[in-house]
Amino acid sequence: MKTNWLKSMFAAVLATAALLFIQTSAAQDAAKQKIAVVISTMNNPWFVVLGETAKARAIELGYEATIFDSQNDTAKEAAHFENLIAGGYKAVLFNPTDANGSIANVQKAKAAGIPVFCIDREINSTNAATAQMLSDSYSGCVKLGQLFVKTVGKEGEYAELLGIVGDNNTWNRSKGFHSVVDRYPGLKMVAQQSGEFDRAKGLEVMESILQAHPNIKGVFCGNDAMAMGAYQALVAAGKADVVKVFGFDGADDVVKSIADGKIVATGMQFPKKMAQQSAEFADQYIKGKRDFAQKIPVPVEIVTKENVSKYGDYGKK
Amino acid sequence: MRFGPWIIAILLAAGVCWQFPLFHVVPLKPATAEKAAATFNATQFADSFWTNQLLPALPKCSAAEALIPLIQTDPAAAKKKYSRGAGVGDSYFYFVSGAGKIIAVSEDEISIEVTAGSTNAEISLQTGLTFGNALRDGTGLLSPSDYPNSQDFNDISAALNHIVETSVQPKLRVSARVGAKISFAGCAEVNDESADLKPLKVIPIQATIE
Repeated sequence: MKTNWLKSMFAAVLATAALLFIQTSAAQDAAKQKIAVVISTMNNPWFVVLGETAKARAIELGYEATIFDSQNDTAKEAAHFENLIAGGYKAVLFNPTDANGSIANVQKAKAAGIPVFCIDREINSTNAATAQMLSDSYSGCVKLGQLFVKTVGKEGEYAELLGIVGDNNTWNRSKGFHSVVDRYPGLKMVAQQSGEFDRAKGLEVMESILQAHPNIKGVFCGNDAMAMGAYQALVAAGKADVVKVFGFDGADDVVKSIADGKIVATGMQFPKKMAQQSAEFADQYIKGKRDFAQKIPVPVEIVTKENVSKYGDYGKK
Repeated sequence: MRFGPWIIAILLAAGVCWQFPLFHVVPLKPATAEKAAATFNATQFADSFWTNQLLPALPKCSAAEALIPLIQTDPAAAKKKYSRGAGVGDSYFYFVSGAGKIIAVSEDEISIEVTAGSTNAEISLQTGLTFGNALRDGTGLLSPSDYPNSQDFNDISAALNHIVETSVQPKLRVSARVGAKISFAGCAEVNDESADLKPLKVIPIQATIE
């Protein structure tokens, strides 16, 4: 009888403890607010770093964070925004797919009372996002253009691999570069094609450029993935020592290639710094801050063989 | 064969198309002009900015006579007191004016001594090809937050640089001579303190040689 009573008591205590545990966990989950990290593509290591860093910083700040991969597709991006609005997210850390096409998504979130913080890529609006933290691609590529002239020379043929044509970064980089090289009439651009910010596409485009223009002395690539693809094509064509390759992003594999003398230079964009700062902005917004600058440029630094030891892991050591 | 229903259907379709046309025919010239009017004209903007905002703002420049000695002795203090930053990075700008003596002239620069008795060039007035955003960002008069598309904002830099190259530098190159007195105003961008401060590389907005 006594044993039965003890057993019953023990079971009751266990049940109460379990119930308390479940209630406490549920209360904690309910208290944890959610931040969405919407990234243009997770098929590029640079954007993986951007997304994962934003997520990690949001978690550090006490939020539940989820990454949504738009796969460079505005329709998928729109679906993500529908879901996150319905899902009760409190803020969005957003790397847009298209400077114009993504505006409507940001406006929808804004109408639902959800602040959106753009990272790295901008949207062509100053009244939709709460703030936009953007790499100063133009200035970075002005510096790369100056280095290009210094390295390749003031005369000769060269090629350019553009990024996605609907993205402002593509043109800011191209325009910054051309604001310098176009001042030297002896430098002739014999090919300008889109490699869509993609390594495989960059390789494919570079192969066809080399067939048509075997005498190029340099290639300026709108991002590091394309620079790696272009370099691969040059190795296959036996021209890796002749054609100078310039990238942009500060991806780890390119920084290592610069140290090895394979690629001349890249523009370090500091994805971790931008992602962390954006997560902190979201936290500040949720806690009541409202006065954010709309567009915040993040300067780009040029990585060359001379200073490469200072850089790595997507930033400055 | 009865044509009645067909005629009614065609008339109905014609009526719908009349009311809700599938396309509009627009004369090419006015359409192109309308599109151009909606497009940001950086050259026009830069011309107006130069005359109506930049030149009137020159009295707000930091005095080279105070800035240069501080850069020589305590660059961090000079940065804190006189510079303006660019975004969240380490680069910064000076908006500076002053007077001095020309001590050297080359194809791309005029070297100026500001502090009496100095033997080193303290200001290097840039007279070669002009690149970058020093003129756009150095004064604090323009903000990226005012431009929905950063390409427009960047085009302003190129247009301002063009004004310097066509309106300011040619006269300077012609009249600069060692030993002459010069007064100047301009913007300097500092990316690398070891290379950009001694001398301070200033893109001229205005300069007069006696």
